[in-house]
Amino acid sequence: MIRISTKTVAATVVLLSLTMMLSACNASAPPTAGPSAARITERTKEQKAELGRQHKTAADLYQALRDEAKGGQHLSPADVPNWSGVYSRPADKGFTFDPDQPDGGLPTAKLTPEYQKKLLKRIDDVKHGIEWDPISTCSPPGMPRWLTEPFLREFIVTPDQTWLINEMVNDVRRVYTDGRQHVPDEDRLPIPDGDSIGFWDGPQLVVHTNQLQAGIYQRSNPDYTNQVETVEIWKKMDPRTMGVDVWVYDPPALVEPWYVKQTYVKLDDPDKNLRIRYWNCGENPNNSVVQTKDGTTQFRNLNFGEKSGAEKGKP
Amino acid sequence: MKRVLFITLMGLGALIITVVPGLAHHSAAMFEPTKTITVEGVVKEWQLTNPHSWLLVEVTGKDGKTVVWGFEAEGPSTLLRAGIKPSDLKVGTKLTITGRPMKDGQKAAIWVSAVRADGKKLDPAAGFATK
Repeated sequence: MIRISTKTVAATVVLLSLTMMLSACNASAPPTAGPSAARITERTKEQKAELGRQHKTAADLYQALRDEAKGGQHLSPADVPNWSGVYSRPADKGFTFDPDQPDGGLPTAKLTPEYQKKLLKRIDDVKHGIEWDPISTCSPPGMPRWLTEPFLREFIVTPDQTWLINEMVNDVRRVYTDGRQHVPDEDRLPIPDGDSIGFWDGPQLVVHTNQLQAGIYQRSNPDYTNQVETVEIWKKMDPRTMGVDVWVYDPPALVEPWYVKQTYVKLDDPDKNLRIRYWNCGENPNNSVVQTKDGTTQFRNLNFGEKSGAEKGKP
Repeated sequence: MKRVLFITLMGLGALIITVVPGLAHHSAAMFEPTKTITVEGVVKEWQLTNPHSWLLVEVTGKDGKTVVWGFEAEGPSTLLRAGIKPSDLKVGTKLTITGRPMKDGQKAAIWVSAVRADGKKLDPAAGFATK
């Protein structure tokens, strides 16, 4: 028979308590100081899609990546990567959330029957000349649609925050990398670009975003709900190309996470003329549109007369 | 200045719809998907605004009467990426411009291409190229 002394029991309890305390601290502790090489394994596209399927929620995947990165690193000013320049999304595929969507094919998301039906109706409506884009009212695209807009972009990295900027409607996503957690459950509310936290794994930025609003991935693409969440890994692939792996979780609309790879190309700007300027979506009345009774788009009141249009922008 | 020239069916129109983004912000459903019109005229006003710019072109018909056509394109930064600068289209500039007209007959179109009288080509869709 094994005899356990009181001292042994007490020591075990203390050790267990210490382990649990350390574990609890780890979950919210800021990442350790960098720099270092990436620890997250390089994976093929299929392996990345499978990685998404292995995790039930975006939060689970984010935590798994953080574990793989041993908690990640906190950037020092000297470690800040050079993501400078003005970028844009290649437009050769037009409006598709997944750049690998086959020409003439359907979006690659695996949708629930309800959302598949909505998508097919949207595509059929477009064939019949009926289309309405919810951002026609000048509302922001919101995440994850934010990833697809074809305008100018800048990526501003600091040790505690990274700003992902889309020129359209002055849309800035702030990714907090100072070790903070998301807003508590009870205080969350759906907002266009959600709440993003992240950590650095060597040269790559891992981001989890929640608190998003319902929207569409793009025209002729599916809807997403206000339960949508994303995990992204941003990395400079070469001097001219920024790449981001994206996993989208949205249980009401997606049967499984939708993995896509987005890229942004640094634009040649030898004369330094490209600048992101303030985007006033409502400045020209000729751009005001309404949704008609049959669900399509029409200008509210085009006016090309003496008092036409905006006062601004006249060369 | 001159007159409305012609309305044609062009494969180019369909190509533009499928290959490059149409108009961001609002759908292009109110425009003809494939038909194009081409007019010759002079710049009446250029509204360089977001999310879309409007080039207003005054066209003079055979009867001597003038009408104004509005051609819609993307905002100033996308036009700049296409090599189209604010100074390229001053009031009074002569040009020939092609666009996809509205289905309801209003004198407005999506600006597809244009050529100034001095030969300079102005193609707004080129602004979406990443080069």
